[in-house]
Amino acid sequence: MAAAEVILRRAEPVMGTVVSFDLRPQGLAVDVAREAMAAACAMLQHVDATFSLYKPDSPMSKLARGELTLAQCPPEIDAVLELCDQAKRLSDGWFDPWSLPGGLDPTGLVKGWAAREAAAGLVRSGVGAGLVNAAGDIVGFGAPQGQDSWRIGIRSPQSPERLACVIELHGAVATSGTYERGSHIWDIRRGRPARGIASASVCGPDLAVADALATALIAAGEQGFDWIRAAGYEALIVLDGGETHSTDGFPALADPEA
Amino acid sequence: MTRAPIVIAGTAAGMAAVIGYHVSGPRGPLLAGTSVGATRTANTTAGSTQTASSASTASGSGSGAKTTQAGTAGVVPTGTRTATGTDVQYGYGDLQVSVTVSGSKITNISLVKANVADSYSGTVDQVALPQLRQQALSVQSARINGVSGATYTSDAYAQSLQAALDKLKA
Repeated sequence: MAAAEVILRRAEPVMGTVVSFDLRPQGLAVDVAREAMAAACAMLQHVDATFSLYKPDSPMSKLARGELTLAQCPPEIDAVLELCDQAKRLSDGWFDPWSLPGGLDPTGLVKGWAAREAAAGLVRSGVGAGLVNAAGDIVGFGAPQGQDSWRIGIRSPQSPERLACVIELHGAVATSGTYERGSHIWDIRRGRPARGIASASVCGPDLAVADALATALIAAGEQGFDWIRAAGYEALIVLDGGETHSTDGFPALADPEA
Repeated sequence: MTRAPIVIAGTAAGMAAVIGYHVSGPRGPLLAGTSVGATRTANTTAGSTQTASSASTASGSGSGAKTTQAGTAGVVPTGTRTATGTDVQYGYGDLQVSVTVSGSKITNISLVKANVADSYSGTVDQVALPQLRQQALSVQSARINGVSGATYTSDAYAQSLQAALDKLKA
């Protein structure tokens, strides 16, 4: 039997939620891995301070009110808005932070982007494997000892004690849904809150894009599968009644308990 | 066995979601008084660590008798341990939960303290806790490392469980 793997865990309260880390140094000195995790948390706090629309003094709030120009903002705001523009094109316009009733709001992408950046920093620091879970939006790298890949359960929207499915993670998975915080996703095409889709999960290489596409799918529904696949992503949607639909390549395990 | 330590993170994330879901809502699907063999201790003083003996003997793992050695921080230990989360205040009162782990498996979740409005105490006792225990089991059987779901707020239960699990590894 192999020796137990060293695991570092941390739950960082940030962005109005909690971001969880599960790191396996795998050869990297534990102190160095712990420092890398602390640096990742500091970065997440910085992102929160920069992008939060709940903080009136954040650069993003000032930009949204027109008190700052984009050129006067920290460069990461420009980078995120560029990703938003990319996600808008990939989603055929369904993800559009410029068309929301409350004004410019890139929140649908920022959390995924922040977790992606945190994971990238951990990889650069030499951490062997890790999982960064930004309150349901997850990016992984490497794999835990004894496993081929990280295994992620997708929560059933209808029943909190059940999983809709279990996937093998290759890159990232983001889930949007209305069951935790109500109907907060705006359907820009119909001009009303999105309804009918209880949750949408998107898997693929980039968590920032997956996060935005999952949000867009809540409004678009199954008709969005075309642009999901064209973007190189896979998706699963769960309807309010519990029925599920997924793209052909969605990496759900046939028998998670096997 | 090498896979076992991983389970806890997924369970924690999943449970954070379930608790937030049920307590923040005005009502939940009622499970009539299901008792999953775990002791509930309400209204004890804050900070008193609860060791649920009935749960801690539940695991028949051969390595269960071994206690954790100090100095192996970060490696998931094999003994039975209980950690108590911080007392968290939220809109309906204040709550504190404790998590018992045998080896790397959650064997019990109990309330250490619950000062909640009368209209919600039944919900916590009869719905949230039984579902938490059920969730811990079903998530463990799927051997997952994390749970993807709709964004939850950093509400009271989530914080309390995270705090309890953070203490377990120390």
